[in-house]
Amino acid sequence: MPRRRRRDLLEQRRFLAPALIAPAVIFVALLVGAPLALSVYLSFTNATAGSLTGDFVGFQNYADQWSDPNFRTAFRNTIVFTLVANAIVVVGAAFLSHFLVREFRGKWFLRFLILLPWAAPVALSTIGFLWIFDSLFSVVNWTLIHLSLVDQFNPPQWLGEPNKALAAIITVHAWRLLPFATVIMIAGLASIPKEVDDAAKVDGATGLKKLFFVTLPLQLPIATIAVLFGIVFTATDMAVVYILTRGGPFNSTQMLPMWAFQTGIQAGALGPGAAIALFLLPVLALVTVLMLLFARRVEVT
Amino acid sequence: MPLRRRDKLITYLVVGPFAIVLAFPFYWMLQTSLKSELDLYNTENNPFGWGEGSPTLDNYRFLFSDTQYVHWLLNTVLVGLVVVAITLAVALPAGYALARLSGRWGQSMGVGLFLVYLVPPTLLFLPLSRVVAELGLQDRLASLILVYPGFTIPFATWLLMGFFKSIPRELEDAALVDGASRLRTLVWIVFPISLPGILTVIIFTFSLCVNEFVYAIAFITHSDSKVVSTGIYTELIRGDVFYWGALMAATLIPSIPLALLYNTFLDRFIAGFTGGAFR
Amino acid sequence: MADSSKHTDRPEQDVAGERTTRRKILEKAGVGTLLVVYGGAATKTAAAGVPKYRGKELKETLRIVQWSHFVPAYDKWFDNVYTKRWGQANDTEVLVDHINVSDIPARAAAEVAAQSGHDLFFFLSPPAAYEDQVIDHKEIVQAVTRKRGKMGQLAFRSTYNPRTKKYFAFSDNYVPDPANYRADLWGEIGIKPTTWDNVLKAAPKLKAMNNPVGIGMSNELDSNMALMALMMCFGGFIQNDKNRVVLNSKGTREALKFAKALYEQGMSNEIFAWTPASNNQAMVAGRLSLAMNAISITRTAELVNPDLAAKIQLLPIPAGPNGRLGLEHVMGCYVIWKFAKNKRLAKKFLADLETKYIGAFENSKFYNFPSWPNSVSNITRRLERDPVAKPAAKYKVLGEIAAKYTKNVGYPGTSNAGIDEMFNKFLIPQMFAEVAQGKRTPDDAARTYDGQIREIFQKWRDLGKI
Repeated sequence: MPRRRRRDLLEQRRFLAPALIAPAVIFVALLVGAPLALSVYLSFTNATAGSLTGDFVGFQNYADQWSDPNFRTAFRNTIVFTLVANAIVVVGAAFLSHFLVREFRGKWFLRFLILLPWAAPVALSTIGFLWIFDSLFSVVNWTLIHLSLVDQFNPPQWLGEPNKALAAIITVHAWRLLPFATVIMIAGLASIPKEVDDAAKVDGATGLKKLFFVTLPLQLPIATIAVLFGIVFTATDMAVVYILTRGGPFNSTQMLPMWAFQTGIQAGALGPGAAIALFLLPVLALVTVLMLLFARRVEVT
Repeated sequence: MPLRRRDKLITYLVVGPFAIVLAFPFYWMLQTSLKSELDLYNTENNPFGWGEGSPTLDNYRFLFSDTQYVHWLLNTVLVGLVVVAITLAVALPAGYALARLSGRWGQSMGVGLFLVYLVPPTLLFLPLSRVVAELGLQDRLASLILVYPGFTIPFATWLLMGFFKSIPRELEDAALVDGASRLRTLVWIVFPISLPGILTVIIFTFSLCVNEFVYAIAFITHSDSKVVSTGIYTELIRGDVFYWGALMAATLIPSIPLALLYNTFLDRFIAGFTGGAFR
Repeated sequence: MADSSKHTDRPEQDVAGERTTRRKILEKAGVGTLLVVYGGAATKTAAAGVPKYRGKELKETLRIVQWSHFVPAYDKWFDNVYTKRWGQANDTEVLVDHINVSDIPARAAAEVAAQSGHDLFFFLSPPAAYEDQVIDHKEIVQAVTRKRGKMGQLAFRSTYNPRTKKYFAFSDNYVPDPANYRADLWGEIGIKPTTWDNVLKAAPKLKAMNNPVGIGMSNELDSNMALMALMMCFGGFIQNDKNRVVLNSKGTREALKFAKALYEQGMSNEIFAWTPASNNQAMVAGRLSLAMNAISITRTAELVNPDLAAKIQLLPIPAGPNGRLGLEHVMGCYVIWKFAKNKRLAKKFLADLETKYIGAFENSKFYNFPSWPNSVSNITRRLERDPVAKPAAKYKVLGEIAAKYTKNVGYPGTSNAGIDEMFNKFLIPQMFAEVAQGKRTPDDAARTYDGQIREIFQKWRDLGKI
């Protein structure tokens, strides 16, 4: 009898749904929620180096950071990295995916090559780029010098000049995100119903016309998802800047997660560090909600 | 549908350069990993060629015999697999419940779960290190296995939620009418059709685990328990000396099988994403 | 009889007890048994993986974490020889973990947050920010002083906080920071880099030979050290002997002007892109004519390219208008956390290590210098007899540099938490880079960075640490 009752309980939506969701919620609440709450608390204190308590200082850390030029640079750069890298990624991926859905000889191998950046752990592949952009042994510079495109005695310093360093960091981000975005875009293309294709053909839409008026609009919702992941991966990633420039030259490539780490962990000012780390959260949350809503709306219409 | 000659050419002209640019760093890692130090540091040498003492397998020999590289690789795989298992065990039911059973608020909860993903690990590792220590997991792989699901579960749940929504309700209803219980239906009807979605989650979760390194740095110092990214940092970057050749070899080795794996399952992954991501 | 068996049993019982409680906690947390099972398996594989010391069960455990030394042989000696021998003598199993230099701050923060970790934690710069989390290391200082006489001024000023009267770390070693120059190239010009004036004079000619001077201006350690030392030679200091910020001074402005001139005439823009490894590599590639770095440059060259190594010679830092004032390259600082499990043995370990520093000195290939000058006898004679160096007395000058020209970061004040924060944010290299690239005038830069550092100091002063 008790066994029977338990079964009945499981049949009830009211009981079953919470029971199925509970483990996920508990896991997330314990592993993310609680630590996040603590980080929020820390951002209102003057806590130092690893200690998880401090004196309450109100919004002081936030105000201090907002008036700090280094923070401003970091904030601006985070936005620049994210937008530019993802613009490149989305255009590249849209383009590439369009061709990768076709069947052709050697596709498997080419696709393997394209997937490589996604497979490499970012902390390691960035080391590869550190070597590629090296101040003296850069293969890029060697090539440019031997093509007589740059001055042998004054080659570009990819990690030593503010604009080039920004470009280098954006390149690495775009490089590592492109495969993933392409895969998602292929998924988007694959999801376009066959009838739409046929209808387009009947209407005489081919080539570029079809790409712009049929394929791309239909790809929009899934492209939004690709961009969303891209944004999250770029804006919250520290590894690339940490390995390539550590924010240099003179903080010109500083970005928020890196600045939070430098302030809160390396320099021991935990309270301000927590404030920096949290600055981005509401912005990202807003962007995410808007993009998810957008993805759904586009799909519905 | 076979392509016309012209289309074929255009395809190669587009895909080819992309592939070359994206894969070039790996070619470069390979070339660098086969060089002797003397050759590497000689600016007179053509970097695309071979100089004094190159090509050589010394860097690989060093990696495999003088460091615990293999051990770190195994650790990485182990952490990845266990985290994948935990993630699936928790996210499958949750995703299903959000998609089917909970109606209106399931939607917003799904979005809420995605938001969890945005929380920066930069400082989160501090409070978590207390948790890890209290559980006695400091310097053990188990510490990573404990915390990684914190960011994989929300994402996986969100993805699976979308996927389950795309499965026709009629299939389940039929089973339910036949007298099967909800759970039975879930396990025998719903999950099997969801394989592409599950595969997507597996690949994605695994790649997140392999990429993570902030927690791995903070929680594990013991050489036997290190994962690939942190182990390499310890052994191959010593103060101001980088062992470039070995570093490049160490990056190349896990990347190739992973890319092969992803490529093999890509079509299913694609199916999973189409089914799930934005519904 | 019963008593003795009880005694031998106890450690095992403790271990078992610990395990059961851990299991309980885990189950409470709802993580499941999977982790426990796996955790057990991991320890086993871990134990199988390392050549563990075999022999009688050692009574106690001492856990140490430190960087992976730039000389791999040092780690082998420390992990497998020194600590094993010490462990035998003290009935202790010593476990040494290694991490990358740049991972030290993150791990330290994690251990403090966890209030659990290693018994000895090794930093490469004075960790003043952690003062509240560590014991007063005075006892160890006294123990070593009883046997080896006075502690070096450098170590004293790097680990003692005069405001709180506390030793917030114990320094066992530091690394002198010589000027590495290409004797052959400088010989052609007929000048030696003994003064900064000489460097500026020779730099254009060296650059014309495509062998520029290389003083980094990047967010990294070598740049930090070289530029702060350069400033001191010109009379620019970050703080005075009362730990008050005095960066905005004539000396600083002079140093900035000099560095800008040196950059324009004798260096290339590579210096803004450097990592700590870059000057080593550029020197080993035969490109640079001068670099400021510890002996890792010549030691690497000896392995990779012995001919070149013989051409790279060492000098003390060039003298400026304010004399010859250099800095240490890195400052080895062990701390014992307040929450360390085995403080007694940790203290003893440090005192023993420092009292007989000869092994560390030699196995680090003269990289590590003892913080107590008398801990290694006849340093000069040992330096002269390097088995690899060409000429054999090449490293002799390190003794002179260590004794006369090595000051602490923050000199003439002490290495405090404000200095620590400024140091880890790379403010000095940024100031120099901005001036060299023409983003700020020397006046503006000195004023601006003075202001930034003042704010940092104020914060730590309010916390009672400066």
